[in-house]
This record gives sequence, structure tokens and C-alpha cells, in this order.
Amino acid sequence: MNFELSNSQANIIECEEITVVRDNKEILCAASCCVPRNSLTFLVGENGTGKTTLVQTMLGILPQREGKISVHPLNREKVNIGYVPQNIEFPKQLQLTVAEYLRYVSNLDKESIHQSLETVDFPLSHLSKTINQLSGGQRQKLLLAAELARKPDILFLDEPLSNVDDTGERHILDVILEIKNKGVTIILITHDWQMVSAHADHVICLNKNFLCEQGTSCICKNSLSKVNIKQIQKITPDPLNTHTGYCYIENV
Amino acid sequence: MQRALIGSILLAVILGFFGVFMVPRKLSFMADGIAHASLFGIAVGLLVGGMPLLWAIGLSLILGTLLAKISDNESIPMDAVIGICLVGGMSGALITMTFIPGYKPELFSYLFGSILSIEWNDIYILSALTAVTLILFKVQWRTLVITTIHNDLSKVLGLKANAAKYFLFIGTSIALIGGVKLLGVILISALLVIPYSSASLIGKSLRSCVILTQIIAVAGTITGIFISYIFDFPTGPAIGLLLVAIYLLAFTYSKIRSQPIWKSNHTPLD
Repeated sequence: MNFELSNSQANIIECEEITVVRDNKEILCAASCCVPRNSLTFLVGENGTGKTTLVQTMLGILPQREGKISVHPLNREKVNIGYVPQNIEFPKQLQLTVAEYLRYVSNLDKESIHQSLETVDFPLSHLSKTINQLSGGQRQKLLLAAELARKPDILFLDEPLSNVDDTGERHILDVILEIKNKGVTIILITHDWQMVSAHADHVICLNKNFLCEQGTSCICKNSLSKVNIKQIQKITPDPLNTHTGYCYIENV
Repeated sequence: MQRALIGSILLAVILGFFGVFMVPRKLSFMADGIAHASLFGIAVGLLVGGMPLLWAIGLSLILGTLLAKISDNESIPMDAVIGICLVGGMSGALITMTFIPGYKPELFSYLFGSILSIEWNDIYILSALTAVTLILFKVQWRTLVITTIHNDLSKVLGLKANAAKYFLFIGTSIALIGGVKLLGVILISALLVIPYSSASLIGKSLRSCVILTQIIAVAGTITGIFISYIFDFPTGPAIGLLLVAIYLLAFTYSKIRSQPIWKSNHTPLD
């Protein structure tokens, strides 16, 4: 494995050979990767390769059977972590309003909440609406606003641009880049390779898990179109490094 | 009558709160499952000559813990497990009853409820249960709301999701058994399910739904007791029917309100 670990100054998260089993199925097998501090790291790969599982393991939601995950805060004992899951289905009968959701999740004062809503361009006039009255895009903005209000050091976003129209997508991306520039480390799961090519500081690419056992080749290219590969190759001559089971594209 | 009113108000409050979280989680059927399965504990209690409700509470504790544990496993459907508990408990109860000689009037009082048989000792126990439950709700409220929306989010926020889950499952199970004497095994789920289901049709926020749930539960129970007293109806069915009527009214109101003519374009600022 030609992957540098244990650089706690450069990396905020380091995963060393983690194996994760879910419902008796091995989803990740001896996977190693790192997330550079203050980077916009994209997590890519085909459906079913374990992107969400990797994020949930980093977050401590899922336990790893083997391996080690280290989080390295800088000058602090604890890092504040934010997480926007993919497709939250709010129970319709809960009748939770936007204001109530923000209050429960962020546990902060009204002013901080309003500031976060303005950051993601969420209309304050929707505060008294129930979440089920919002469109898919508005919900994504709300979830992001709730996490921003908590002022995270690391923010995990699981396909945050799904259900968002083009204008909203552009705006959310701008917000993501803006908070990254403020020093927040962002890990973003996406299938949008144009976005990866344009904005990535670091890319973690997951292969189909059956390759974990074989460990001989990398089919990460299968998840990319020819155009996307070209776009990445323009930046670096050898963008796809083959590892045991997983492919990492560093410093794109 | 006085004991019946106090007991029913306490039960309505507790079960109303549990309903706030059980109904949106689609666990309403659990009320029927636990209540029916508890009949097995009652039958064992009648057979061995101990306090039947204590046996039922013991069984509900086991079932509540088991269901909470199983709810983590996505490959096991909860409704099927609850159905299995229901069938197992009822079958066990009926088989156990065959070992008790003679007529079994107590069984019918637990099946359909007998609110006027509530004693002061029951009220003291219910009061303690209500106090403990309300304190635990106060402590766990935020966690319960967030775990109802998305379990993973609660873990990221550092909330004790497991503690809240076990409180919800075990607390609901014990509260249901506490209400068996009031409404009976067959109708006790009415107090858990109907008040919040009705409130969520009318309420415009979680807060308003919780307040409406308590109003509907308490008012429905008290009115049901008075109706049963005046017309000499059985109490449990009187409360049950009244709650169903309230639900139908709430449903009709929500449909009328959703008509375009009643909708306003103006959305008030918070």
C-alpha cells in the first residue's frame, strides 16, 4: 500500500485498514484512506461500493470489525462534526415545523439559526411551515442550514445536491466552497464527476467490494465516463492509483 | 367514580405522550401486540394465584426489551414480530386458562376493562408511574424527536439514542398494561393511537399536536366515563367509540381545511 498515513497535522481523519460488516455482508475490507485538513474531499464510486458505509463508519454510527479510525483535532480536544444524511424521510405525522427542527437539531438561539438559513438562501417566511410542506431542494437547504448552525469542524454531506434544481445546486455549491474557505473540512459523496473535477482537493474512490478479496485490479474507471477521466488526467498524469481493493486519487 | 376519573386521566396523559412518538414511527400495532400478549401473563397470574397484573408487567418488560432490540435489525420486519407476539401471547393465555377450573370472570374484566374496579392502591401506583414517565420524557424529549426523524443524526449529535429507544418501548409496554384494567386488552390501544392520530390531522406544529393530544385524550376519557355512567354503557367501549368519533371529526376538518377556498397565500413570519 503506497498510502501515507499518520500525518496528524495534514490529515484530520485517518482510516487504517478498516473492515466493516453490515447485515452479515462485508461492505468494506481493509480499506485505508485519509481526509486532509481543511479540504473538500469527494467520495465517489458506483452504487453499492460502500460510500455511505464508509462515512457512517467515520462518524461512529457503524462499528468497524477491524482497523482503526483516528480523528486529529488541531489545538482542541474534540472536533465538532456535522452530517447531512441522504434522503431523510420525515415522518409525515410528526408535523415538525422548520423552526422546531432547527431548534431540536442545532439547540441554538434564534439569531444563529436565522443566520444559517440566510447563508443557504432558505426563506425565513417558511419557518412556521411543516417540513412536509417543503420541496426536496428546500429540505436539502434546511438540513444543511441546521448543520451549519452547529458550526462544524468537519462536515459530511451524503449527496447533498440530489433533488435540488440547477440554481439551488449552484448556490449550495457556493456555500460549500465558502465554508471550506473558512476552515471547515468537507467530505462529500457525489456521482457528479464534473463537480469533482472542478472543485476537488482530494478524492476517495471506492471499487466494487468483490475486488477487496481479489485485490489485484481497480475498476474505479468504470464509474467514470471517458470525458471525466480526461478532465482529471489534464490535472495529473497518473490520477488513478491502484490499491488493494480501493482506489485513491490524491491531490487532483 | 372519583377513582375512575383520576385513574383514567393519568393513563390518558401517559399514553398520549407515548403516542406522540409511537404513531409517527408506525408502531401503533405494537399497542395491540403487547396488550394481547400480556393476557398470557394475566392467565399465568390467575393460575398460580398471584397478582395477574404483575405477571403481565413482567411479560411486557420482556417483550418491550425484545422489540426494542429487534427494531435495530432492518432485516426483521417489526409488524411481523409484533404479530407473532400477539398470536403467541393469546394462544398461551387460552391454553393456560384451560388449566384453571370453573368460570373465569376475571379474564373478561381484563379483556374488556373494568374501570370502576380501580382501587386507591392502583391510583397510587399510576401516579408514581406518571411522575416517573413525565420526568423521563422531559429528559429524553429532544433525543426522542431526533431519533424519530433519523436515528443516525442523533448519534452524530452525541445523543443517547439507545436509552431513548428502550425508554419508549419498555415505557409504552408498561403503560399499556397499566391501562388494561381501565379499557381492557382489546381497547387499550385506543388511548395510545387515536389522540395523537387525531391531533396530527389538526395541529400545525409538533408542539400544538402534543397539546391537542393531551386535550383529546383527557377530554375523551372523562366524557366517555360520563356517557357510560349516564347511559349505563360499558366504560371501555364508550371511551373507545368517543375517541373514534373525535378522529372522524378531525379527519373531516382536515379535509375541509385542505380545500383551496380555505387556503391562504400568506405565510406568517416566525
